[in-house]
Amino acid sequence: MSNVMDRVNSTLGDRYADMNRLQFGLLAVALIALIIAPVWGGSYLRVLALGNIFAIFAMGWDIQSGYTGYISFGHAVLSGAAAYTSALILTHIAPDISVWAILPVAVLMSVIVGLLLAVPTLRLRGPYFSLITLVAGLLFYRGTRTASQYTGGEQGLLVGRLTFDPVLRFYITLVPMLLIAAALLYLSRSNIGTILIAIRENEAAVESAGIDATKFKIWSFVLSSIPMGIGGFLFAHFDGTVNPTDVVLIDRSVEMIAMAVMGGMGSILGPIAGAFLFVGLRDGILPAFLSGTERWLALWVVVLFVIVFARDGLFRKLWHRLGDDTEGDSE
Amino acid sequence: MIEGFLSLVVTGALISAVYALIAIGFTMIFGVGGILNLAHGALIMIGAYAYLVVTSTSTFAAVSVPPILGLVVAVVAAAAASLILYKGLVQYIEEDVIITFLATVVVAVIAAEIMTLAFSPNPRSLTPVVPGSISLPAVGLRIRFIEIAGFAISWVVIGALWYYVTRTDAGRSILATSMTRRGAKLTGVNISSVSTQTWLIAGGLAGLAGVFLGTLQETAPLMWLDPLALAFIIVVIGGIGSIKGSLVAAYLIGFLETFTVGVLGPEFRGVFSLVVVAAVILVRPEGLYGREFIDE
Amino acid sequence: MTLLSVQNLTKKFGGLVAVNDVSFDVEEGEIAGLIGPNGSGKTTIFNCIMGIYKVTDGTISFKGSDITDASTHEVVNTGIARVTQESNPIGRMTVAENIRLFTLPNDILSITGGAETEEIEALAARVGIDDVLDELPGSLPHADVRRLEIAKAIATKPELLLLDEPFAGLNQAEIREMSDQIRQLRDDGVTIIIIDHNMRGLMQLVERIMVINNGDWLADDTPQAVAENEAVQQAYLAGTEVFE
Repeated sequence: MSNVMDRVNSTLGDRYADMNRLQFGLLAVALIALIIAPVWGGSYLRVLALGNIFAIFAMGWDIQSGYTGYISFGHAVLSGAAAYTSALILTHIAPDISVWAILPVAVLMSVIVGLLLAVPTLRLRGPYFSLITLVAGLLFYRGTRTASQYTGGEQGLLVGRLTFDPVLRFYITLVPMLLIAAALLYLSRSNIGTILIAIRENEAAVESAGIDATKFKIWSFVLSSIPMGIGGFLFAHFDGTVNPTDVVLIDRSVEMIAMAVMGGMGSILGPIAGAFLFVGLRDGILPAFLSGTERWLALWVVVLFVIVFARDGLFRKLWHRLGDDTEGDSE
Repeated sequence: MIEGFLSLVVTGALISAVYALIAIGFTMIFGVGGILNLAHGALIMIGAYAYLVVTSTSTFAAVSVPPILGLVVAVVAAAAASLILYKGLVQYIEEDVIITFLATVVVAVIAAEIMTLAFSPNPRSLTPVVPGSISLPAVGLRIRFIEIAGFAISWVVIGALWYYVTRTDAGRSILATSMTRRGAKLTGVNISSVSTQTWLIAGGLAGLAGVFLGTLQETAPLMWLDPLALAFIIVVIGGIGSIKGSLVAAYLIGFLETFTVGVLGPEFRGVFSLVVVAAVILVRPEGLYGREFIDE
Repeated sequence: MTLLSVQNLTKKFGGLVAVNDVSFDVEEGEIAGLIGPNGSGKTTIFNCIMGIYKVTDGTISFKGSDITDASTHEVVNTGIARVTQESNPIGRMTVAENIRLFTLPNDILSITGGAETEEIEALAARVGIDDVLDELPGSLPHADVRRLEIAKAIATKPELLLLDEPFAGLNQAEIREMSDQIRQLRDDGVTIIIIDHNMRGLMQLVERIMVINNGDWLADDTPQAVAENEAVQQAYLAGTEVFE
């Protein structure tokens, strides 16, 4: 195994901190476990598949909010835009079209909505970007009710599923998640990631370095919109319904933030862990003991504890414990 | 037609006063500590449920007090809850904006879940503090006494608060701290005492508003979200940290909402307010009476 | 050739006039000093040049092009860099990473551009911090942090370097060392303007001194002439700050 590890470390080059045996082991085990999940997952395969989608959401939030420090409180607007685009097209415009053909349109819509939010607000410093994203989320939710003749109101719309086979469905969510993770990890360790982190730490310094901070802030939002759009599309066709509660309620945006923070924001890997932790608790572990309101209560109490007492994120803590790493931290 | 219009005007004026209570509490906390207390809506809910518990026999058959006393209980309960929230949690995490945001919203959700467990998710109705209504057939109006009470009590409280904050030393130190925390510290203001007072006052205002909202609209575990969104919209439009701004914006939004729902229907509730606040953020982020974020 | 041209620059903050109708040109290859008492408007002039403040009136041009309304990063990319009075390093990044940030191109598609390690070491060596490249700024002594600030500025390959109180907080030996480094920078082809609030540090270093007081332009001459200028002596109480 050390051969493989050394080769991975050297291919990754000196942009990525060298992993030690334990850290490499952790990632390898997790990756392998995911890839062969249908073998051991059993009835939890659905939870794992949802975990993949939520991991996409959490990563998408992280590359923008976690890295630049401009916190989006309404990120579900982006995934919601994709989900509703797909649903609206399938319901009102072209019901017979192949679902996959809509994917690029859905993602494009997510990017457009993202730009609409980002361009006017990211040129301002201060909390205004965050406030606008919060308002956007509330507006989207309200809007589904106002335009209920198109959106199906609270009931939502029925759309086709991508597949009825749970194993196939799992892989349909896993592959994009891994690809997105790889892409975002690459970007976050590149110059782009460095600049985004610098914007978070000291935006004035970034400007003094001759770098247009506003441009990069908007770029991070675009980079975030793409995975959010993909995730939104996958979510819409996971169970086949698109309704405001499951897709754009403010709780959904809050969950994305909670997942990323529990795992460790500003690291891409942390949010993945946080997503699986959250979904695992919500749909996997807690239902064994509690149901209904009590389960939600327990879930949020756990979340509260984690974010208050493990502010840097559980995965980050674990990673550093494994690595005895004291490098300058943001990864 | 005229009656409809007049009725909307009256309703708007009355409900705006209650909105002002909510917004002022929210903006005080944001102004003084820079804290987005997303559990503010939950304090409203606590006020409403506290009132319910002591004024109706449905919870504790032995306990049933006159509504006026129930009002006092609601205010005290919400104020206490607010202070406990600050002293027990927020003061330890207030340095970190994201964690504070997340933690307060999670606390709000937890509070709603607890209410659901304790009281069921169904909406409840509250005994009006002042029952009955008055009819003015000449103008085709019918106004409930509770609406008038809400209006009157809200304005009395706002007036008292205004006096406190502008005329007394203790109150003025709150104002000073909201303008400049560093400056306040340098002139010997006891920041801890200011925080305590602010959270108590905000909680009390929320509790009071909770009783009125709970009576005029409904009391349910999900009632924390809409008032919070409104408070937030009003505060941004009025200007963060400005009590006067909250008042003016509360009336703006109060009328906007009342007319929107009255003319276009309940599906449009909240939509125009959200559009207005989005426009404000883009065009004049400081709001009507706010300050620019200079030394952040 | 004239590198920087400031014409009738005025900056008001509400009713307060911080800079009042100031004009000066800086030629390529000069080392100039800008002095004045605290609060006289020196840093404000730098902030206007760097696009941090919007000018109330007047124009600023660099190499012939108007940069009056340019944003900070645009100004930097035309070739002006500035070291602020207070150090502003990014605490979570090492010295090398801090410098590296300033070599990155302003390009959203650039994944791997920017300086190589050798270039960063060379930059650090020019100000004498090549021995602490892997340290965090928080663990460095004050003088090294100031040097880091200069390294960051020259990493953007400026033609004009604005130094705001570079000697603040340094002892005599460090001041001498930094003066040498500044002179070397000029010899390498960088035009330099230095702000200071007294002439002591600048006398040997600069060829020309501009004086400002309360936003008003007071003098613009050789160090010797300025020291003997009556208006300048008036501006500084008892004149002891100016002479030395």
